[in-house]
Amino acid sequence: MSLTIGKIATLANVSTDTLRYYERELLIEPAAKSGGGYRLYGQDALRRIRFIKQAQQCGFTLTEIRALLTLRKRDEACCQDVRQLALEKRLQLEAKIKAMKVMSNALHNLIEACSIDSRPLDDCPILAALEQAIGNTN
Amino acid sequence: MRIDLFYTPGCPKCVANKEGLRATAKKLIPNLLWREMNVLDEIDYAVELGVLTLPAIAIDGEVVFASLPTSQHFERELVKRISKEA
Repeated sequence: MSLTIGKIATLANVSTDTLRYYERELLIEPAAKSGGGYRLYGQDALRRIRFIKQAQQCGFTLTEIRALLTLRKRDEACCQDVRQLALEKRLQLEAKIKAMKVMSNALHNLIEACSIDSRPLDDCPILAALEQAIGNTN
Repeated sequence: MRIDLFYTPGCPKCVANKEGLRATAKKLIPNLLWREMNVLDEIDYAVELGVLTLPAIAIDGEVVFASLPTSQHFERELVKRISKEA
């Protein structure tokens, strides 16, 4: 059964613009075009779109998802290859979490330093610290 | 000198030149501490050091190789570090 772009977008809960973007990124392609030139998709495209969305939720970029989809088609690929990519993604996510914790702690310290909220803006330690940081990077 | 090789079990490229690298390190470093870390068991340590890809090699707590180097490349790096320490 062929699905139009509007129909498959509704079923997958994405916009038609998203599907066109996926197509430009070589993640999906229509199975055929109608006589009027409209894109037509098969049921496998719906599975593929759901796979892409799920992988995005796990933090994979579209480039990485393309690599995962390519792996699926490679005869010699095995689960270990996918596991390797997933593990590297986890390491990258953990590194981001670590960096964000450092940022959160820095903000916590600034918030603690600014315990008197009635001070004029010129005396705000948060703004002063940020301005000092800007000065240090210049 | 402490060398940590981070790997995943069953990963062919992780073990491709592992023995060659260890032999290179043993030849050059008398007080070598060579550790092979299964990243599944040591994920916190790997994150702490900043390992982002596998396999990877950290020397004295610093990720120096984000993939396995050739023995020649590895030797050059070790010689550079040994001469810095001397």
